[in-house]
Amino acid sequence: MSRFFRQAADSDSESSESEESLLSSDEDAPAAKAAAPAKPAMSRFLRTNNDSDSSSSEEESEEDGDSDEDEGPKEVKPKSRFLHDSDEEESDEDVRRVPKSARDKRLEEMEATGKSMDNALKINDWIAISNEYDKLTRLVQRQQNVAEPIPPFYIRTLSSLETSLNTALAKEKEAKKKMNASNARALTAMKQKVRKTVKEYEKEIKQYNDDPEAFEREWAALATPQVQARPEAVRRPAAGEGEDDDDFTQVGKGGKATQYTAEGIYKNLQAIQEARGKKNTDRTDQIRILERLLEVAVTTYQRIRVLLALVSSRFDYNASIASYMPIEMWSSAQREIDTLIGILTENVAYSVQEVTEDYDDLVERSPEEEKDGIVRIRGSIISFVDRLDDEFTRSLQNLDPHGTEYVDRLKDEKGLYCTICRAEVLYEKKQLPEPLARVVMRRLEHIYSKPDAVLNALESAVAASELTISLSLASQPSPSALINALCVHLYKSGNSVLRTRAMLSHIYHHAFHNDFYTARDMLLMSHLQETVYSMDVGTQILYNRAVVQLGLCAFRSGLIKEAQAILQDIFTTQRVKELLAQGVHQQRFQTLTPEQEKAEKQRQLPFHMHINTELLEAAFLVSSMLVEIPLLASIDSEEQRRKAISKPFRRLLDFADRQVFTGPPESTRDHIMQASKALQNGQWEQCRNLIQEIKIWSLMPEATSVKEMLAKRIQEEGLRTYLFTFAAHYKTLSLALLQRTFSLDHRVVNSIVSRMIWSEELPASLDQSAGVIVFHRVELTRPQQLAQILAEKVGAMVEQNEKALDFRLGGSAGWGDRADGTKGDKRGEQTQERRGRGERRGGASTRGGRGARFAQGLGSQMTKAR
Amino acid sequence: MAEYDLTRTIIPYLDRHLAFPLLTHLHESGLFAPEQVAATQYELAKGTNMVDYIVSLYEQLNPVQRSQMFAAKREKAVSTNEQLQQEAQAVLDVIENPDVAQALRQDKNQNLTYLKDNYGLTLEQITALYNFGKFQYTYGNYSGAADYLYHFRVLSTDVDLNTSAHWGKLASDILTGKWDVALEELNTLREALDTRASAAPLAAAAHTEPLSTLHSRTWLVHWSLFVYFNHPAGRTLLLETFLAPAYLNAIQSASPWVLRYVAVAAVLSRKAQTTPGATAPTSSRVRHAIKEVVKIVQLEEYQYSDPVTRFLKELYVEFDFEAAQRELQLAERAVANDFFLSEFREEFLDNARYLISEAYCRIHQRIDIADLSARLNLSPEEGEKWIVNLIRDTRMAADAKIDLEKNVIEINRPALPIYQSVIEKTRGLSIRTQALGAALSRTGQQQAQQVQEQPAVVEGAR
Repeated sequence: MSRFFRQAADSDSESSESEESLLSSDEDAPAAKAAAPAKPAMSRFLRTNNDSDSSSSEEESEEDGDSDEDEGPKEVKPKSRFLHDSDEEESDEDVRRVPKSARDKRLEEMEATGKSMDNALKINDWIAISNEYDKLTRLVQRQQNVAEPIPPFYIRTLSSLETSLNTALAKEKEAKKKMNASNARALTAMKQKVRKTVKEYEKEIKQYNDDPEAFEREWAALATPQVQARPEAVRRPAAGEGEDDDDFTQVGKGGKATQYTAEGIYKNLQAIQEARGKKNTDRTDQIRILERLLEVAVTTYQRIRVLLALVSSRFDYNASIASYMPIEMWSSAQREIDTLIGILTENVAYSVQEVTEDYDDLVERSPEEEKDGIVRIRGSIISFVDRLDDEFTRSLQNLDPHGTEYVDRLKDEKGLYCTICRAEVLYEKKQLPEPLARVVMRRLEHIYSKPDAVLNALESAVAASELTISLSLASQPSPSALINALCVHLYKSGNSVLRTRAMLSHIYHHAFHNDFYTARDMLLMSHLQETVYSMDVGTQILYNRAVVQLGLCAFRSGLIKEAQAILQDIFTTQRVKELLAQGVHQQRFQTLTPEQEKAEKQRQLPFHMHINTELLEAAFLVSSMLVEIPLLASIDSEEQRRKAISKPFRRLLDFADRQVFTGPPESTRDHIMQASKALQNGQWEQCRNLIQEIKIWSLMPEATSVKEMLAKRIQEEGLRTYLFTFAAHYKTLSLALLQRTFSLDHRVVNSIVSRMIWSEELPASLDQSAGVIVFHRVELTRPQQLAQILAEKVGAMVEQNEKALDFRLGGSAGWGDRADGTKGDKRGEQTQERRGRGERRGGASTRGGRGARFAQGLGSQMTKAR
Repeated sequence: MAEYDLTRTIIPYLDRHLAFPLLTHLHESGLFAPEQVAATQYELAKGTNMVDYIVSLYEQLNPVQRSQMFAAKREKAVSTNEQLQQEAQAVLDVIENPDVAQALRQDKNQNLTYLKDNYGLTLEQITALYNFGKFQYTYGNYSGAADYLYHFRVLSTDVDLNTSAHWGKLASDILTGKWDVALEELNTLREALDTRASAAPLAAAAHTEPLSTLHSRTWLVHWSLFVYFNHPAGRTLLLETFLAPAYLNAIQSASPWVLRYVAVAAVLSRKAQTTPGATAPTSSRVRHAIKEVVKIVQLEEYQYSDPVTRFLKELYVEFDFEAAQRELQLAERAVANDFFLSEFREEFLDNARYLISEAYCRIHQRIDIADLSARLNLSPEEGEKWIVNLIRDTRMAADAKIDLEKNVIEINRPALPIYQSVIEKTRGLSIRTQALGAALSRTGQQQAQQVQEQPAVVEGAR
């Protein structure tokens, strides 16, 4: 079809050109003649105009011819007629039988122009010749564009034209008057044009002149194979397309379904393989064909091959990264992977591997024919399972977590979990440690953050599917033991990334089950905090999750100081949601590029895995309150006040202080801020009530015990705060009164007061016989105060310098008295870490160095990743 | 009291022979049924070549039967002994030659070539020395074993066998009761282990190395208990060693029960800090031992606690004197029953009482003597005597006065003057700054800022 248009356009432009020349050449007859053959081409478009147009031009030419030359008109007329006819015929032909091969057509056209040139030569009409020549050159140029050799015809014409030109010029000189001006002009123009072209084709012309026949033969030899090859080449894609198109529609109608037979399976597969990834391939149809093929597949080999192709084309179905696979598609893919794994598990003689020797895709293979009795097929089950899992996560990312759809989707996890377990069984049987480790990791990722009930449900689904899996809940005494077994398997595997992830999942699991000490020890002993910067973002997120869960665990277990220290790291970054991959961070100063946003979105965890950030914040702020408020009360100089333990909490508290009017608390933060103020004023009951009113606690499984724990802590810290704040106003204070006011046991009061005195927080002593605290408060004079501050500052300066030098000399180099840690350096660090924690417990305000560094490190890495 | 007995936990970390004294102690203490202990002893002894001992144990267990099955074993042991002795004798003859003893130098390789050239001694023969020493050890001739292993170590270049000989020699010395030698041995062994551990990251098989280091450290910790609780200066040395980061970690992660011994040693070391000049100057680690130990006890509470550690915790974390007193009673018995600690019962009690009264006095202004006596598990009269001694012995003399009329002690603690606290704060600064300067000049990077630091410090201190 396009050939048609092109030609029409060409002839169109030609005709318009000739019309132009017609106008310019003062309506010369020859011009009209030249125009004549062109017109019909145009007429194909404007058939209605055709007759009148051509006839008028003919009339004109008649007139011109009459006026100019005697012989001309008579010859011209039949010529134009003939040309007209032939062209018409040709066009008719074009319409009727389409493929006459573009090449042949061009050749014909050229010859036609050549003939008209000859004719014009005879009457010495150089204007016509010039026009015809231009046309010929264009044709030849087009010929060259298609990379076909220059036809000898053209060369022949060229050389004859040259000779006739020379003779004409010679004649011109002799009989000058004979030619009119325009004709003479055309002649000279022609001369120049021909000279140029001749120069271009010098070699060919020379060859031709030497031996015209040889040249022609050569050309023929060059052209024929192409002439034969071309139609074939053309036909094949055309046929292929046609087949594809036709077959697809036919299958759709159900007409040609019988076409798919067991014999033709490999051909079909190949065809699909070739069409895969092409732009206009209809994926739905491909999948349909493959489903058909699966039905007709007979041998195991065939079925495996078809399943492999089918699953991958299902995953191909959705090309964009942003959206997720349709759920039906996902479930069928899951079913098919199940079948595939089933086949492979049953037939040990077939194995699907990522790397195989080359084999012929079109040949049926069976175990008997293979050398070692195992048919190896190219493919990768593990990547299917990975992909399936990823798609599941992606669909969850995209669904509305509050809709029923999400819940429905979550139910599919059971099936997915079974599939993963099946793959595990397969790899266990085949004894492939590397993919087995990956599959176990996938499995672990599904269960590590789940409560025992959900884990039990998943495992019972596996048990129901009658899989003989070596690590299952049935063989392990408890869910934790199962997790432990899975993790131990991964620790033993060589892959360090998987090991790290397993370790983090294990830590998370321990923390989730309130096993704080084990989780903490594992985290510290793994030394992950040193290496986690260099990990991928996914692992870093897992690390953050594990750490945060550890903090929550500490909070639940009543280890307030630990919880505060752990959670602080992540809260000082103010990007909690981003760091936990539970939401995209809104950046104030820079906007994300779409790619960054997309990458960020892909990292997000599905909703059901989220750690509730509000609960997290509540836990953090409450523990900060319990740590900070007594501390705030204990320090009196403005200087020390600046050394905040928890900046986020301090900021909120300052903000709350500035409020002119405080209404009843609404949000969790309001509650905690007002509770903090109450605690500051020694109103521990009010504080307790405010804290216990917070609704978010109900999300914690042990809400009541946590509340009780908090109440107890508030009483104790209230007592401490009270003593710090109001000690200055008393000389003695009765222990019994304190006991009553804070409704604490006298032993607890005694213990708290004693501890404060022992650690020199409170300048006082107990009078046992009278049962009172006696305060020895010494008011410092201004210079004394200043001297103390100065001393502290100097101390800090020396410390700074030591640190700077340490840094300068490269940390581990160790100078001066630090040299004792050369042995077992690593463990030494661990002790330091532990001691660090111990110190925090003791009330010293060491900021969590490493963790804090980490969280920011992750931030910077995430920005880098963008 | 059986639940506080650590024998069962400790034995897996000891050599077979080292366990015998423990079992004998159990036998004497009567915590467990004598038959059980004897049966264990027999089981334990079966693996050794101490045939006579086995026979006696067996007869103890089965008084009726007289077994003949040990005869063969005895035969075999004797013959092996003879054979090994012959092999070793060749080497011994050479070594005991005074000429040779003079010719031997520090360089082991040189020695080897010397011996080989002049006396035709090969490595195999020297290894025979090791084998013989080991065999002697198995049948209980510990002093002989120690000798042979010593000679072997002097000659051999084989690292693994050397370490093994080290352990063997240490065990022999412990069992023969030569504590000075054992202590020396212990220190060299510790150094050997530590150097190996620090060299480990360079080795190719770094993966298993930390674990084996941990193992050998744990073993060393347990073995050294024998030495530290028998050598006169052992307790401070124990604190010195066990509170070093590397060993503290080994204790924390692999054997938290050793904390009992650390805690007891910390309590016992109280004397060392109150009577300065009596022994060699103690390191800061020992001086602050109690503080340190309390921290660790608190940290490891979830893993291990017994009366001794609980006593420290109640006293220094909870400041619950009643509970502390209760725990002290328990701890006293636990200590008395412990193989290592039994000799220190009195001393421990004394020091613990002192700690209680020190803490009590620091917190209280006026103390009822009767009350304090009760806290210390003493009768009022004893308590009074104790307190008077206490006041006389310690620095409290200036602050504390007994008011017999009211039967109370008055303690007046004037607050620390400001200038003193300032001095305290700035005390170490000049030395630290000097160290900084030294470190700087060592690297050749002179930084004017740090040098100028010094005058500022002096000003601050004045």
